[in-house]
Amino acid sequence: MNFLTLFARNLWHGPYTDVFPFGPATTPEHLRARITFDPKQCEGCRLCEKVCPAGAIRFTRTPGGMTFDCWHATCVFCGTCEFYCPTKAVKQSNDWHLAHEQGEKYAQVEHGLIPNQICVECGAKALDTSPAVSHIKPPLSETEVSELRARCPKCRNKYLRSRKTS
Amino acid sequence: MTFINKLKDFAVKSPWLYRINGGSCNGCDVELATTACIPRYDVERLGCQYCGSPRHADIVLITGPLTRRVLDAARRVYDEIPDPKVTVAVGVCPISGGIFRESYAVCAPIDQYFPVDVNVPGCPPRPQAIIEGVAKAIAIWRQRL
Ligand code: SF4
Ligand code: SF4
Ligand code: SF4
Repeated sequence: MNFLTLFARNLWHGPYTDVFPFGPATTPEHLRARITFDPKQCEGCRLCEKVCPAGAIRFTRTPGGMTFDCWHATCVFCGTCEFYCPTKAVKQSNDWHLAHEQGEKYAQVEHGLIPNQICVECGAKALDTSPAVSHIKPPLSETEVSELRARCPKCRNKYLRSRKTS
Repeated sequence: MTFINKLKDFAVKSPWLYRINGGSCNGCDVELATTACIPRYDVERLGCQYCGSPRHADIVLITGPLTRRVLDAARRVYDEIPDPKVTVAVGVCPISGGIFRESYAVCAPIDQYFPVDVNVPGCPPRPQAIIEGVAKAIAIWRQRL
């Protein structure tokens, strides 16, 4: 390609520079950045907390249930948590807008609460976690999953055992 | 967007950037070089320029978790930068220690030693995120002038 064609092409394309911060930024779809958490899907297995190499994830038992906290200022965007999460409740989004002023340093947290619930069978207080059903054969129907979810861990076991024998 | 308009006003002046490597793994430094040297990102659009001497600097970018060995040198260099200066912590290492957190060999977080103004988390942060942080730093710098 001679320089005249290059010149014409560059005139046509305009500058290569990304317009950010004077306009919207281009972001790759699969960029690995800010962690997101969905308490509805979480099984409460705490695997993500265990595998996180930077110790960014912490679960805490509170009177209201169990809280999830991921501090973005120490997360290294490795994606290990998402890789090991059985339900993909913890995910990496492509949102990289994390720059903040010093005053907000400790507010850079992804927070979620897995609330307590009362078991419909025995009335015990237990966490409203998503049941681990991915490996169960034959697969559970949607009503079965919601029935299972409304129970405490012990009654979930009982429910599954009775399902097997029937 | 008022922030962008303000930024356009600010860009008439030119803060100079200085880089202190506090024992970083070089990931963040590569991203800082990318921010300045690659036409795609080009931090010089904001009027910034990297300078070689701390005495010419207005905005100081610190990378790395501040290893014990580099602490004294980093403090000496930091003190040479004239006031008013704005300090930007680039990467999760200086902010919290990141992957090296709680190691005996590092002094992170660096806000124990330096008055940090802006944090840019990421390991390493994307060049655009660094530009965002520098833009925040310029806003702070204009207030301090
Ligand atoms: S987010 Fe995923 S890995 Fe973490 S506790 Fe919940 S289900 Fe387990
Ligand atoms: S991406 Fe890596 S460092 Fe960040 S929370 Fe997940 S496991 Fe931890
Ligand atoms: S934040 Fe990550 S890329 Fe930057 S210096 Fe630390 S370990 Fe290296």
